[in-house]
Amino acid sequence: MFTNGSKLLIGATVAAVVAAVMYGVTQDGALGTIGLVSAAIVLAFLAGVTIAIRDGNVPPGDEMALATCAAAQRAPGASIWPLAGALGAALVVVGLVVHEALVMVGVAVIIAAVAEWAVQSWSERATADEHVNDEIRERMASPLELPVLAAVGLGLLIFAFSRVMLTLTKSGTVVVFSVVAALVLAVAGIIASRKQLSSGTVAGVCSIAVVAVLASGLVAGVQGPREIEEHETTGDLAASGRCGVEETEADEKASQTVSAKSNVSATVILREDGTLVAVQPGISGESTSLTLPRSNPNNILFRNETPEERRLVVDAGPIADTEETRVLCTALVEEGGVQLLTVVFDKPSFAVEEPMQLTVPGVETAVMPVVVP
Amino acid sequence: MTSPARRRLTAAALAAGGLLLAGCASDAPQDTWQPEGPNAQKIHNLQWPVFAIAGVVGIAVFVTVAIVIIRFRDRGQPIPEQTHGNPALEIGLTILPAIILAGIAVPTVATVFALAETDDTECTINVTGQQWWWEYDYPVAEDGTICGGYTPSNGEAASPIITSGQLVIPTGTKVLLRGTSRDVIHSYWIPALNGKRDMVPGRVHYLRLEADQPGIYAGQCTEFCGLSHANMRMEAVALDEADFQAWLDNELEAYTPPEEGTLAAEGEAVYIQQCARCHQVNGLTDPASGELVVSAPDQYVWSGAAPNLTNLMTRNTFAGATWDLLTESCRDDVWNASPEEFGAKYLEGVTEECLNQVDLREWLRNAPAKKPMYAEPEQLTETDGKYRGMPYLALSEEQIDQLVAYLLERK
Ligand code: HEC
Ligand SMILES: [Cu+2]
Repeated sequence: MFTNGSKLLIGATVAAVVAAVMYGVTQDGALGTIGLVSAAIVLAFLAGVTIAIRDGNVPPGDEMALATCAAAQRAPGASIWPLAGALGAALVVVGLVVHEALVMVGVAVIIAAVAEWAVQSWSERATADEHVNDEIRERMASPLELPVLAAVGLGLLIFAFSRVMLTLTKSGTVVVFSVVAALVLAVAGIIASRKQLSSGTVAGVCSIAVVAVLASGLVAGVQGPREIEEHETTGDLAASGRCGVEETEADEKASQTVSAKSNVSATVILREDGTLVAVQPGISGESTSLTLPRSNPNNILFRNETPEERRLVVDAGPIADTEETRVLCTALVEEGGVQLLTVVFDKPSFAVEEPMQLTVPGVETAVMPVVVP
Repeated sequence: MTSPARRRLTAAALAAGGLLLAGCASDAPQDTWQPEGPNAQKIHNLQWPVFAIAGVVGIAVFVTVAIVIIRFRDRGQPIPEQTHGNPALEIGLTILPAIILAGIAVPTVATVFALAETDDTECTINVTGQQWWWEYDYPVAEDGTICGGYTPSNGEAASPIITSGQLVIPTGTKVLLRGTSRDVIHSYWIPALNGKRDMVPGRVHYLRLEADQPGIYAGQCTEFCGLSHANMRMEAVALDEADFQAWLDNELEAYTPPEEGTLAAEGEAVYIQQCARCHQVNGLTDPASGELVVSAPDQYVWSGAAPNLTNLMTRNTFAGATWDLLTESCRDDVWNASPEEFGAKYLEGVTEECLNQVDLREWLRNAPAKKPMYAEPEQLTETDGKYRGMPYLALSEEQIDQLVAYLLERK
């Protein structure tokens, strides 16, 4: 007496009635109850209709209809998609406990599974012709499936790659990827030299490669990235008052060349005789003092021509609302090396008590006054 | 032809004609065809022959095209025999432009190099652009002089001069501007004295300037730099040697406080309370505490600077050289003065009779209403709450009277 469709609808009606009662008892306000009762009425009506027309099934006696009517064809075949949907649901539940991102993945999987399942069961019974049905399915789903799958696949591959690179040591990365590149070249060479090759072989090779990448990505991801050291900078030196003569970690790591050299405010040179001179664009000859605009990031290059390692220190005047002076410095510069320093003087020099100046710790003669108008 | 199309054509023709006639304006201070110094002259010497050659070529092309269109228009005659390729003509038409271009390239490259020369500099001045005005400072050179040989007449040691809007230079002197910017890229351009030069944050670019005759030469920022780009103007003022010396002496004079009990003295108090956090008046001490008043524009203004007002009334324009500090007749008197008389008139500065009260008062009443600037709180989120420009200060009319009296003495 109960057809398949009506069972579903009757179940839904019962659920709606139960929900309406529960809502009415536990919650304030009638709106929810009204909605749920309305839903129950509509569902009950639909259930009645389905029972009356026996799910729209073709009566067994009607030969003609049996041959052509889509609804009279075999029932939809077994589908993998409910399984995928269940996986998605499981991911959502696990994600709620473990990580937000997993919930998102789960929801995406559920949406994809539902969409696929719907397209599949619809297309399988779209017409009486099985081949046509297959084609319909392809035409519906491929334009969506292919790009999404490609994006997800690429994303996974790239992510796996990046995990591997983050985990390997600096030199290890070079070795591993040289080997991998050579391997790719070799395999490609073999494939290219073959006169004939079954598509199965190519697919096999590619699958092995993909699995290898994903697996190593997984291993690397679990391992975590290698330790990436933080370099101390000259900014840290200034902040901790270590602009002196001693060598620090920042000095050890400091590069001794500067790439952008043109049109800086000034190049300040520590001469072998221990004096500081400045060369400024647009001013011919050397000067022994600098005039720099106020509140302006001035780029100053420091070049050391003495055999000892030296750094340039700038006393840039008082820090607003404090007693301290702002001190900046370069890293230690070896003979012939160059470092860049960007300095802002935010007070005019007539307004400060401590002189604004450039100095070199350890070289008493190296003092260059800075005038800020 | 349908009538809307004809109307459109007429409108286009009128617009083009208007544009053409605008080229005939005689009072055009930013005319690139009127060089007033050797650097601009070099550019001019290059541009007019190029313009002439291009003009001849252009006219020849248009005339030929017109003849062809009229003579060979379709009157139902048979299609003439088609030719494909004419090596002699093609080679000729490739070589001729190549020769013309090569001919133009030689003087062009020579001019580019000549204008980049810095070794012959006689006077160095630093210029710093910011939204939306220019600041100039005159550094003291190694030999203790300013601008290639000037020292204060009173025998005291020179100290740097700082001013804004109007650049003052001695005539017949090879001046080198060393320019940079505190915020975005600006471009310095005084058409009568030289071409344009971009002023870029973090870099120092230079520009040669030299004026033959005393006078005022106008220009404007030519790199779009934000809201008030159009109000970022500048002027170069050329003075002969004696007048430049007088200008320099005046700039370096010590601060004279206003007489006690005057309106200006009240203005000084208002100034210290309202303006001194951004604007510097060199040498100003607070009569109440006896301490030097030092501005801190870096805390309030995004570019970190506001114009120095020590000698405001020695310049005759303000706020990016956009408004006059002189009334119209006084302005004309100075701007149209003959080169011989110009210096004396400029050095008079702004007198009480000549002060353009209207614009200055409007500025003090509500600066952002006069010149578009970022001064509303919701516009300042990107700049850490710092203003770009001068904010509205809610001054009373009485305070404005007092400030005007005070500012009038700043020269
Ligand atoms: C928050 C900072 C700030 C305060 C406070 C301030 N100004 Fe300004 N002022 C500026 C800035 C920035 C400019 C430049 C604006 C421009 O030209 O684009 C300026 C320009 C000016 C100019 C034009 C100067 C020139 O040479 O072009 C005058 C005059 C002036 N201000 C007067 C005053 C007075 C008087 C007060 C006090 C009532 C005052 N300002 C308060 C920031 C400030
Ligand atoms: Cu600008």
